[in-house]
Amino acid sequence: MSQANDRPATATGVGAALPRREDARFLHGRGRYIADLELPRMLDVAFLRSPLAHAAIRGVEKPEGAQDRVFTAADMAGLVAIRPTTNVPGHRIVGTPPIADERVRFVGEIIAACVADSRAAAEDLVELVMADLDELPVVASVDAALSPDAPLVHESWGSNLSMETRFESGIEEAIAAASVRVTRTLDMARQAMVPLEGKGVVAHWDAVVGQLVVYSSTQSPHLIRNGLCHCLGLQQRQVRVVAPDVGGGFGYKAILHPEEIIVAWLALRLKRPVRWLEDRFEHLTAGASAREHRYEVTAHADAHGRILGIDAVLTTDAGAYSIWPHTNGFDAVQASGILTGPYDIRGYRVHTRTVATNKPPLSPYRAVARPGACFAIETIVDAVARAVGRDPADVRLDNLVGPAAMPYKAVTGKEYDSGDYPACLRRAREMMQEVEADPLPDTVIGTGYAMYTEHTAVSTATIAPLGVQMMPGFEHAGMLMQPDGSLEIRVGVQSHGQGMETTLAQIATEVLGIDPERVTVRHGDTALSPYSTGTYASRAIVMTGGAVAAAADALAERLKRVAGHMMQCGAAEVRLVGGELRGPTGSLSLEEAAHIWHFRPFDLPEAILRDGLELTAGYRPDGDRAPFAYAAHAARVAVDLELGVVTLLDYVAVDDCGTRVNPTIVDGQVLGGVAQGIGTGLFEEVPFDDQGQPLATTFGDYSVPAASEIPMIRLDHRETRSPYTRFGVKGVGEGGAIAPPAAVVNAINDALAGIGAELCAVPATPRRVLEAIFAARDRHGAAQEDAR
Amino acid sequence: MTRLSLTVNGEAVSVDTEPRVSLADFLRDRLALKGTHLGCEHGACGACTVLLDGVPVRSCITLAASCEGAAVTTVEGFEDDAVVARLRAAFTEEHALQCGYCTPGMLATARDIVMRHTTPDIAAIRHELAGCICRCTGYRGIVRAVARVIAERAPVGAAPDGDCGPDAESP
Amino acid sequence: MKAPAFTFLRPASLDEALAALAAGEGEARILAGGQSLLPMLNLRMAAAETLIDIGGLTELGEIAEADGRVRIGARVTHAALEDGVGGDRWNGMLVFVARDIAYRAVRNRGTIGGSLCHADPAADWPVAMMALGATMQIAGPDGRRELDSEAFSLDVFSCALEEGEMLTAVSLPRLSPAARWSYRKMRKKAGAFGEAIAAVVHDPESGLVRVVAGSSPLGGPARHADLEASIAAGAPVEDAAIRRSLAAREPDLDRYEMQIHATCLRRAITEVMR
Repeated sequence: MSQANDRPATATGVGAALPRREDARFLHGRGRYIADLELPRMLDVAFLRSPLAHAAIRGVEKPEGAQDRVFTAADMAGLVAIRPTTNVPGHRIVGTPPIADERVRFVGEIIAACVADSRAAAEDLVELVMADLDELPVVASVDAALSPDAPLVHESWGSNLSMETRFESGIEEAIAAASVRVTRTLDMARQAMVPLEGKGVVAHWDAVVGQLVVYSSTQSPHLIRNGLCHCLGLQQRQVRVVAPDVGGGFGYKAILHPEEIIVAWLALRLKRPVRWLEDRFEHLTAGASAREHRYEVTAHADAHGRILGIDAVLTTDAGAYSIWPHTNGFDAVQASGILTGPYDIRGYRVHTRTVATNKPPLSPYRAVARPGACFAIETIVDAVARAVGRDPADVRLDNLVGPAAMPYKAVTGKEYDSGDYPACLRRAREMMQEVEADPLPDTVIGTGYAMYTEHTAVSTATIAPLGVQMMPGFEHAGMLMQPDGSLEIRVGVQSHGQGMETTLAQIATEVLGIDPERVTVRHGDTALSPYSTGTYASRAIVMTGGAVAAAADALAERLKRVAGHMMQCGAAEVRLVGGELRGPTGSLSLEEAAHIWHFRPFDLPEAILRDGLELTAGYRPDGDRAPFAYAAHAARVAVDLELGVVTLLDYVAVDDCGTRVNPTIVDGQVLGGVAQGIGTGLFEEVPFDDQGQPLATTFGDYSVPAASEIPMIRLDHRETRSPYTRFGVKGVGEGGAIAPPAAVVNAINDALAGIGAELCAVPATPRRVLEAIFAARDRHGAAQEDAR
Repeated sequence: MTRLSLTVNGEAVSVDTEPRVSLADFLRDRLALKGTHLGCEHGACGACTVLLDGVPVRSCITLAASCEGAAVTTVEGFEDDAVVARLRAAFTEEHALQCGYCTPGMLATARDIVMRHTTPDIAAIRHELAGCICRCTGYRGIVRAVARVIAERAPVGAAPDGDCGPDAESP
Repeated sequence: MKAPAFTFLRPASLDEALAALAAGEGEARILAGGQSLLPMLNLRMAAAETLIDIGGLTELGEIAEADGRVRIGARVTHAALEDGVGGDRWNGMLVFVARDIAYRAVRNRGTIGGSLCHADPAADWPVAMMALGATMQIAGPDGRRELDSEAFSLDVFSCALEEGEMLTAVSLPRLSPAARWSYRKMRKKAGAFGEAIAAVVHDPESGLVRVVAGSSPLGGPARHADLEASIAAGAPVEDAAIRRSLAAREPDLDRYEMQIHATCLRRAITEVMR
């Protein structure tokens, strides 16, 4: 293989399957999550939320005697609304109001905040607040929103179209050359993100430092601080955002939530600690949700299934407002930028429409938009294969970008840096063929494949043109060597399950040779770390890992100067090997070097003393280019043709995220992503009725797959180093979630092929599967009628 | 207020509580045992699972007031429990946790599975875990960890060596 | 998601419980395992001035056999039935049904009586009990009475208990060794409520033949006497007959609902007649 590390993995450095250093506290119930914080005199908040999807607020009546415990927009007049920014021409955008003023535009929008000594008492108070609402007409789907004379979510817009983009390259040539044309309309439902710990915020004023301290269950403490300062009119130095242990995020906690703003405002106003903990009902009904894409796609191919062009219209249901900072257009931008997938397709036309509806805002969720794009291209590839009568995996192999073409500039303008896509698919097929399907009674078995290539660790160059208020393509790390030679690393990303307390220590170990047991990684606190946009976009191991390595390099140089001086040789002659500073004539341990700097300053020259053993270093991948991770997934399903029930029998994922800093943790990221993707593909959905009422309000209606639904996923890896990143790493946090909806639906369609049925929507619930079967039967029946 | 007397992690507790307080909130707010986590508050996610008289229950849909005279064991109370000690090691070895939020409920559930099963049957373990949501791991590590501990126990005759309230072996 | 306030009582005897229920004048509710009631209270979809926790009534937790029938106390948990506590007299049917109700931690608290009184149209015990010919033993201010399953099951979330009454036990006949049963539940995921449930029992010795279907679209469990008659006669049951029977009972089933209910019924009948 062309890949493999050029360097053997050490027991504890990059490449080591080091057990996680985080585990012990969680296994003993000693994690500290937002709900675990206790502050004296803390008040709990509960919200009165709109029961209607669209209404004018005529008034809000506070209960007698509770005027000072109930707060409405009128009370919060000083609050500045959050304003997402955009450079996309014609993009109309309204940020989510912290609290509704004259209008409510989705069920669950906040109308009043009630505080009490306990959450139960706060909820009691909510029941006594009366909101006088005038019901307005609702648009609860893109079809309703785009119909002529549709009611308007934002009247000043004149329509419900928030953003529209178009891109075209080589499509006419492709259409002219193609002999096969396959068109499908593909739907991915709206879903909730469901970190097991809900969102939560605790805020209080720290009079000693003169700071508003906001504890938030967030992935991005510095971004939240930016947003809060804007809304509250505070200077950045006056706000500290701390993320404690965070019980899962997946994008839901990478945005600024209205509740964060209100809780911070209440803490300032009431001069007491204030807390809000999102409950599951709030999460499912009022929180930002995700996905909800429709693709109308035509593939133009030759008779052999070689795809020459993709022509697509993508419509996203973005809800009533935009989240911040990413904007409501993120899904459309991301999906249209990667729709041609890992294939060498030279003709492409895409028209995106981001549509406002009376639903909660759409938020980036693990792998933002790419599960939808992958679902679209990968089901179309299978449809093309069926149209030309070939095996879908063979058709894929003919269309994939080959390893010799790397780096490959896609028609979308994206540059795929490295990898062997066909070998990856061949491996997945081999693994799938190794295991015989175990048939279930009353079912038909099908196998499906899906691939993706994924822009990880998004670059500044990609984001800057969009004009959003975050700049992701770089990262810094602080590093401090203590007097005893132990090491503290301070980073602005937030580890919420990714195991960065382990992997970032491994990177320091790789460079410095220090025992990871002598390294502490501190994260998630604006008071501790350099600025960071946070943990999202599969960026932390690339960006922060690179920054930690850069800081370790710089620290190593300083230590070498100490050692060189003590050993009377040049710093350049000192090598750092296995935690030893070795010169031509002797060696010093890290502990000795640290000790000398701290306790024997008289032995060192002033320049070395001045620099010290604490520093901050920054990192950006070479040329501001992003590494592309990729994978081939394969699913085997048993479909009950009478009940529509799909059972996932087997699942294989072969991925390439470049060098794996910790292979165990990489496996965990992929497995977790795949399980969420299976949720998207088979189970998870927040439907709304035509009045905008959410129909999945508990886990009784919203099915999150458990161990009973997720098979023992089988993994393999390729390891093609990215040419642009430190250690050759690529991001891996999101990728697992991308391909499962496509792989699962392709497997279902393989099973349904015998009866001529085809599914074009996820999640593939029994009802959707049976409706696809009914449609095929009706066509068949009609054809028989015609034949008579 | 109701006067409530029970045993929590081996210690006798006698506290006044509002009747509407769930066992989960009682443990967290009155006893500061924060290891019991709330994930759904309607009994569907498993994060709040604790042992009540030796068997797992959802503390979010069990009233504290209903636990008069009972013995409750939370994740903080497993320090001397040999089965949980093995599960903890297996959870790390199999990478059965990421964010850690589901972990206390998983451990209480896993302990019960280990106690009731003598063979590490993957399908049975997966079914037994149906009520516990983990959003991070994809479950493979959890299933493997439980299977590993069952397999380890099998050769020694599956004798119960945990010590967590009465009738731990046969609820 | 915190429950509204209520008064909490934990009576030590059935008489005390009945007295408390009477004193509540319709605003008091029995709390058994609470696995349905407490989620609804937490969601504030239900309210009660008083909860009467019957957890202390040991007599309701017993299983006893007399005169060829088995009396299962209302407080017996799903887990106890899953484990076959008190013995299996139904050729494994109760164990099978219990094992797929929610999750073990819920089954450790949830009770058969609570499930029957809650009368969720998609719940398992109302279907299974009707299929086994169970009768409901009820205590109230006017003494005790007994109702068969069909009379007990009224409507969605509604049973035949009058104000002041409570369920104390279910009484059901044991099945002969020759009896056959099938229980088919289609659900979205393990532990979820059934989208469609079919239970068929045929005991040639006692002559018991029951065909019961239940679900939310059907509005709860009910018997299909026409299909029972076919089974009793040993006549084959065609898919069309099943669909006619379902349509007669619930004309508003859509195509999908008809399909899943008919399939569950057909498979259950086929399994029993095999």
